[in-house]
Parts: sequence; structure tokens; C-alpha cells
Amino acid sequence: MYGYSGRILHIDLTERKTWSEDKPEEWYKLYIGGVSMAARLLWENIEVGCDPLSPGNPICIAGGIFAGTPVPVGGKHGMASKSPLTGFIGDSLSGSWFSLALKRARWDGVVIHGQSDSWVNVFIDDDRVQFRDATKLLGLNTYETEEAIRDELGDDQVRSATIGPAGENLVLFANVTNDGRQAGRTGHGAVWGSKKLKALSIRGTHGVTVADPETLMKLSYDITQAAQGPHTAKYRIYGTATSVLKMDRMGLLPTRNFREGTFEHADLVSGEYMHEHNHVKTIACAQCPIACEQMCSVKDGPYAGAMTGIDYECLFANGPNCGISDIRTVIKLVDLCDRGGMDAMTNGVTVSWAMESFERGVFTKEDFKCKKYPEGFEPYFGNGEAAVTLTEMIRDREGIGDLLSKGTRLASRITDEERGTESYKWAMNIKGLENAGYDARALKTFALGLAVGTRGGCHNRSAAYDPDITGETDRFTVDETRGRVAGRSEEYAAVYDTLPLCKFIRRCFTGKADRAGAWPAIAKLINATTGWDFGYDEVDLIGVRAHTIKKAFNIREGWTRADDHLPYRWQHDPMTKGASAGYVVTDEELEYMKDLYYEYKGWTKEGLIPKSKLIELGMDDVAEEIGV
Amino acid sequence: MKVTVEFLGVAGLAAGTREVTLELPEGTTFRQIVRRLSERYPDLVGKVIAEDRETMFGSNILNRNGKTVIRDELLDTCPQDGDKLFIMAILAGG
Repeated sequence: MYGYSGRILHIDLTERKTWSEDKPEEWYKLYIGGVSMAARLLWENIEVGCDPLSPGNPICIAGGIFAGTPVPVGGKHGMASKSPLTGFIGDSLSGSWFSLALKRARWDGVVIHGQSDSWVNVFIDDDRVQFRDATKLLGLNTYETEEAIRDELGDDQVRSATIGPAGENLVLFANVTNDGRQAGRTGHGAVWGSKKLKALSIRGTHGVTVADPETLMKLSYDITQAAQGPHTAKYRIYGTATSVLKMDRMGLLPTRNFREGTFEHADLVSGEYMHEHNHVKTIACAQCPIACEQMCSVKDGPYAGAMTGIDYECLFANGPNCGISDIRTVIKLVDLCDRGGMDAMTNGVTVSWAMESFERGVFTKEDFKCKKYPEGFEPYFGNGEAAVTLTEMIRDREGIGDLLSKGTRLASRITDEERGTESYKWAMNIKGLENAGYDARALKTFALGLAVGTRGGCHNRSAAYDPDITGETDRFTVDETRGRVAGRSEEYAAVYDTLPLCKFIRRCFTGKADRAGAWPAIAKLINATTGWDFGYDEVDLIGVRAHTIKKAFNIREGWTRADDHLPYRWQHDPMTKGASAGYVVTDEELEYMKDLYYEYKGWTKEGLIPKSKLIELGMDDVAEEIGV
Repeated sequence: MKVTVEFLGVAGLAAGTREVTLELPEGTTFRQIVRRLSERYPDLVGKVIAEDRETMFGSNILNRNGKTVIRDELLDTCPQDGDKLFIMAILAGG
């Protein structure tokens, strides 16, 4: 088989044993790699209904079809486990060298079962697997852990995915870091922590064999050239942080816990401002000619020395959404999250929930006692030092940080039960995953895409904000097209997330970001890599199948139509300022759009998948289990 | 009439300015405004404004008052006095 090794590595941490599983080529044609293959491995290997932090929840990692080849932006891997935040599928992508090492070790995927009785670093050295004592790595942050492992093994080519203190402490939105990039969302780091898995290291020494190297090289060269042209300038110069001002001008920039969509200090936390005052250098993932990550540092003030990559999502969450207008504080907050190993998006949205809860009197200064401030502190919106302290408390699960380490859904439930309050009304999550940086009250198609999304409040799995923002749809209203638009948009995104290819490349095939331009080009890349005979339709089905396996997983874990919801605030509290003031998504609108969406997908009115639909996709065994 | 144009992100770099106020005769269309901008700021062409100098390039959009996207089919309509236009590139995913 070209492009793949045909092998999945299984690692049992309880028994400390490993085995190799051979997969047939037809299986690869269905699930390809990235989030789809990782989700499929999870489907096959989880104990259905298990506690996400129990030994029955495996960590599933899937490489990319293009990792280790010349195909630009193909150096990503997917990770899946049952999310401790949502109780549904947790699937994430991370870029860079880890996926290349996995491919070069000749493993297409890894499934980690069980639970170790002591802290361990699993080292995959081509075919050999070592269980190495990780006790001395405990307490090290993510970057320090990677470096310590390289030093210990005496090989700077070893690539590691690691957890930081947040993962060790089972913060439910802890993440997994490799090469400074993160499998960031849905709490994989807590699952690693529950298994006492501090790190997974890989040394791969083999080459990657493709079917038609000459054609692949030519295709890759052309795309690489285009990737350095005007279509990607926005990423290369400012990175995604340039979205701050755009979102602000459209009234969509989440501000003070999504109360408003415009921030009076947006210019001070914009990508443009940061580029001028804090930018240090621009870096790229492995195999990427675009280079979008803008490394920013704090040069003065109490947080001098903080430095990390800043993108729009972590910037909105820890900046405007917390009312913070000092970019230095935002950099410090994101740096704390990255080193501690926490999802900076969920962190910011959770801190902002705590700030609003304080301002509304749900919490008092007394609730915020900690070692640093024994008398407590007052985390009103805009109090940067309070946000920094809360982030440290979350990482360490100190004081009220223990409550906040559970994310906004659980934290609000616990608080409301204990105090008789209604803080769920400003808990900004969907299915338990905190929302991304787009206020969906006036992005009606995107609101649907978020509500039905398999992993919750995520902008990467549903791309339905794009038609709303570009005017393809009227973002302020609802009509009969929205089910199809939202469904097609998530399937489109799922193609990229499965190969995986970074979506920033999507205009570099023909100049347009549509299927007509990209799918034939992607089919050529797949065929040159594998020797297969994919065309437009086969590429399109990659996304349909990827989304379907994740949905099937959720159904088997107990999903019902009621789980496709929006935050209370988006349905009841219109914004008062800016270009999107005055809108909510009513129950009637949401339920109508859900009907349209399920109909487009060919599902039942209750959102269940007919057996015939699954069989049509080649997923017969899934049909047996959850088809109706 | 007066219309203000704000160049966001890379559009600001290409234009060499962040904002400009245009004095326009009544009845000026958006298409004419785009053409005028391409003449005044030629570096926008091929990066932000398409080579035809009338439509937007790639993922760049022309947005009126933060609410309405002036897609190609709206280019022959007219702004109102006091309108604020935004030129911006849409970013997505990662």
C-alpha cells in the first residue's frame, strides 16, 4: 500500500503491552486519516458509555495521508477520545513534526488503552515501544517536558506530545502539546492525565513511499508557489489575530462574556497593534510554506518575558471577552495556558463567566481567596491581574480554580445547585464546549452549524460563518436554505480535517475556496500519493463520512435532539451596541433550522441516522449498532 | 456626499493608510468607488481589489456599515451620505 503502512499500533498502559493491528486498504479509503480515522478508531475501541476519565476511554491518534510527503500543509494529525467536557466525541487536530515522526515510524495510527499505575512516557522508537518512568517530568510545563525528553534520550529528532500541569491535575479542558502546537480543544489532556500518560514520544527513521513521486512533486510545487502568493498574505503578515477589528466592525467580537459584540478598546488588542508592538517572529508548522503563527512577547510591565503564539481565538477569549484591553496581559494569559497545557479558548470563556458571576453577586471577594491573595480579589471585567491569577488557580485547581477547571457547563451547574442562582444563563458553551469568537446571534447559519456540531461550540468543524460573513446568506434572518448550507459547510471542513490539510491552503488550488476548484486538485494529490482513483465525488464523501462517524459515536453515547442547542444568552439577550445589536436566535428559528438540517442530511426528524444511509456510505457495521 | 472607507488588515498595508474619506457626487456606485480606490491606491490591485479594478480579490469583501456585504450583484447600487465602508479579508479555520 502506498502512502500508508497498513498498521495501527495499540498500547495498553494497564498491562504494559503492545500489539499491531493490520487494516485493509478499503478501510483507509473510507476513513483516510486525521479526525475521521481517529474517530473511527475511537468507535472501535472505546467501552461504550464509559466515564471519559476511566481506563475504558482510549486515546486515538491518526496521522495524515500527506505527512512526510512534499504536499504543503499536510503535516497534521488527529486525536480523538471521549471528551470529559462534553461527554461526546472529542476530536482535535494538531500541526507539525509529531505527525511526520509517526509516519516515519511506519504507524498510521496509535490507540492507547487502559491506565498506568505510575506516570509514564511512552516512547515509540520505530517498531519498538518503551514505557519510561516519567516521575521526574511531573510539574514541568509542556515545552520543558519536550526538551527534557530530548535531553534524556540524547536525540533532538525525537518528537513528543506532552501534557503540562493542567493535564496532570485533570483540568477538564487540558490539552496536548507537540512542537508548540496543540490538540487544543475538548480536554484530551485530562484523558492523558487520567491514564498517567505524561508524554508520547516518537522517533521514526523510515522514508515515506508514494505511488507517483514525480507527479506529487510537481503538484506540490505548484501549490507551494500559490501558498506564498496574495491569497495567504493575510495569514503570513498578521495571522488570524487580524480578525479582531473585522469582527468588531461587524458587531461580532465577543465582549465581556458575549454580552456585546463590539469592544471600545478593540484597536489596542488587534492583530495590527500586536504586530507593531509585540511581534517577535513568525513561525510555521512542519511542511507549511504559509507560516501563520505570530510569536509575540511582553517587553515591559509585570508580565515581561511572557512569549507565545497569538491567534484570534485565544486573543478574543482572553482579551475582549474578559474586558481586557492591555495586550501584554492577553499574551501573559495565553502563555500561561500554553505552558500549563490548557485550552486558551475555554480558559478565557470560563474566566469571563467567573467575572460576570462576580459582577452579578453570585460570587464575592471571599470566594477568590488563594495563596497569592489570602483576602481574596475582585475579578471584575477588565481586571487583568485577576484573570492571570484565576488562570493559575485553574491550572493548579486551587480554591475556586477547582470549580472553574470543569468549564462553564459543569461550573454553572454546580454553582446553581449550591447557591440557587441562574448562572447557566451566561455559561457560553454548546454541549459543554466553550464557544469560539463569533457571536452567532446575528450569524444565523453559523448558529445552526454550532448547535448541531458534534463537538460543541467550535468554529473549525462548522465553517458556516463564512457564508454569513461573506454575504452569501443574509446573516440576520433564517430561510429554507440554511439546513443545506450548514450541512455542506461542515462536510467541506471535514474533508480538510480528515486528510488533514490546513484550511488556510484552500484558495491556493484555483483561487476560489469552493469544492469545484479544490476537490479535483485534492483528488490528484491523493491519487499520486496512494495510487487510488479518487475523483470529485470520492473527495466529497470523505467529509460526509467523517462527520457521520462522529455523529454515530455521539448517538451511541446517548445523544438526543435536545443536545443540539445554543447558549441561553444567544436565545434571550440581544446585544445593545454595534452592527449586530437587537438579534437573538429564537426557539422557533433554531428548531426550524434543525429540521432543515436533519432533512438535508437524510436523517430522521429526531436526528437519528437511517441504516440505509450508513450502508450507502460503506459503514455497515455502524448501521448495525445505531442505524434506525 | 461623504463616505468613509476603512482598510483593515493587509488592505491597510497595501493602501498605506488606515482610513480615507471620499467626497463623492450623488449617484456614485460602489463599483465606481472600488475603481476610484484602485486608482488612488494602486497597490491594492492584485492583492485586495481584482485585476479588473471593479471587484474584490479572493476572500476580500466590501462591507457597508458592518452589516451588508456589497457582493458583485450589488456593485451598481449606491451608498448613502455618511456610510462607513470596510475593506477586509475573511479568515477561516486553521
